[in-house]
Amino acid sequence: MKGFLEYIPGDSILHRLDPRTKLLMPLILCLACFAADSILLLFVILLFDVALGYLGGIGKQTLRTLSKLARIMLFLFVLQILFIQRGETLIPLIAGLRITDEGLRTAALVALRLIAATMPLATLLSLTKLDELADSLVVRCHVPYKYAYGVTAAIRFIPEFSRQMSEIIEAQTARGVEFDTKNPFRRIAMVIPLCVPLLISSVRKIDGTAMAAELRGFNLRGRHNIRCTSRFGLSDGVGILVCLALAVAGVLL
Amino acid sequence: MISINQLSFQYEGGVKPALVDITLEIPDGDFIGIIGRSGAGKSTLTYALNGIVPHYHKGDFYGSVTVDGMDTVETTPERLAELVGSVLQDTDAQMITSTVIDELQYGLISYGIDDIDGRVDEALAALGIADLREREINSLSGGQRQKVAIASILALKPKIFILDEPTSELDPASSRMVFELLRTLNQTGVTVIVVEQKIMQLCEFCDRLIVLDGGAVAFDGGVREVLTHSEELEAIGVHVPRIVTLAKTIGSDKLPLNLDEAEAMLREVLA
Repeated sequence: MKGFLEYIPGDSILHRLDPRTKLLMPLILCLACFAADSILLLFVILLFDVALGYLGGIGKQTLRTLSKLARIMLFLFVLQILFIQRGETLIPLIAGLRITDEGLRTAALVALRLIAATMPLATLLSLTKLDELADSLVVRCHVPYKYAYGVTAAIRFIPEFSRQMSEIIEAQTARGVEFDTKNPFRRIAMVIPLCVPLLISSVRKIDGTAMAAELRGFNLRGRHNIRCTSRFGLSDGVGILVCLALAVAGVLL
Repeated sequence: MISINQLSFQYEGGVKPALVDITLEIPDGDFIGIIGRSGAGKSTLTYALNGIVPHYHKGDFYGSVTVDGMDTVETTPERLAELVGSVLQDTDAQMITSTVIDELQYGLISYGIDDIDGRVDEALAALGIADLREREINSLSGGQRQKVAIASILALKPKIFILDEPTSELDPASSRMVFELLRTLNQTGVTVIVVEQKIMQLCEFCDRLIVLDGGAVAFDGGVREVLTHSEELEAIGVHVPRIVTLAKTIGSDKLPLNLDEAEAMLREVLA
């Protein structure tokens, strides 16, 4: 199974979009989410996010991402309800706390906004070859190569770190540590000490990669020698227009 | 021609020197094996040849290293890499792109080489991994990654080829295939320098062995010549092949460097 933000090969219409479009669309959708003050519109954007996943042939993976984000946002949702005590009381709770209509609405808005804003980037990056994205940024957007490579390398390392963490957990499990606990707090307490070996191995890997890149002419790369075949097409225009329409709706509603 | 003159190096923050007073001459077209226990300075010595030391890893650098007349302190690693191709020890870290094809094209594009597709196909075929061409790096096994790492440098056709434990994740047949490939390259005039723990393969394929201990050169010479010091080698953590120990035990005049030579030696003794 592919890790989070890992490229999933395919030949869908979204795979064929210009890499810049796949960076621009999530950005516009993100702005739309933060401009929107309507729960209905945020639901529409969320549905659009899911539709993007299915259009890219990664529907199941998109739903899994949605489910994971929803679990994280549930925590935020509860916190918002408890902290926002303005408005009419809907349900009284213990110790003078209450669930209010305003608290419920704000909590729903925050949770939906964050899910709808982050999902498109995860979906579209999974459909983008990061090397093509870097090349496109350098050739078409005139971004210096070292910055373009830095951004894409950072994205590429996310699934790599996740894999390394799994390996460390597996190694610890093999030594008798029981990570298979249902208690999330206990699990977090067990995982935190593993961050040190993860950090060490990650820094070592990044160092090795930088060294390898330097030995293959990293600093000689630039617009003059990078090949980039991607160009904006009709589907890029349609995708950006739909996102812009949602952004305008977000500002108006 | 590589010329190392009284080279000493200590990493920034290091507690002891990684290299101590090394003086070596490596003529063009040599096939050299570097061996020594962990921490002996093998990788650092290769870094000194490709400019990683002192340009990337800073520290106290004394002496000089020249590669084809270029002083490695005054020449950037990028420029040195046009001459010196390096396969690093950690092949996972060496993967700087997402797919096999991009990995092989990376250096060729950087250096503005024209026949990119031809070079890529040639390197993939030489390593027997043409079928991996479109594969993603993350989907490859350790051994496949190691072959991709070698192919990505091979495609650059360097004049000097340095490989740091290039067969650590390969099965015996693939290891042999890599060494056969290095021998073929060497026969075309490429200088090959291999850091390896598998002494048997170094003995079979290399012309010269350099044994490092504590950052200094403990032994340097032809393979047979170095192997005559088997007791000293064992004392510094380098295990000589058993066929060599056997030959010395039975008092054979000539040390065998591969199984065929060992068989011939035993037949001669038994006859």
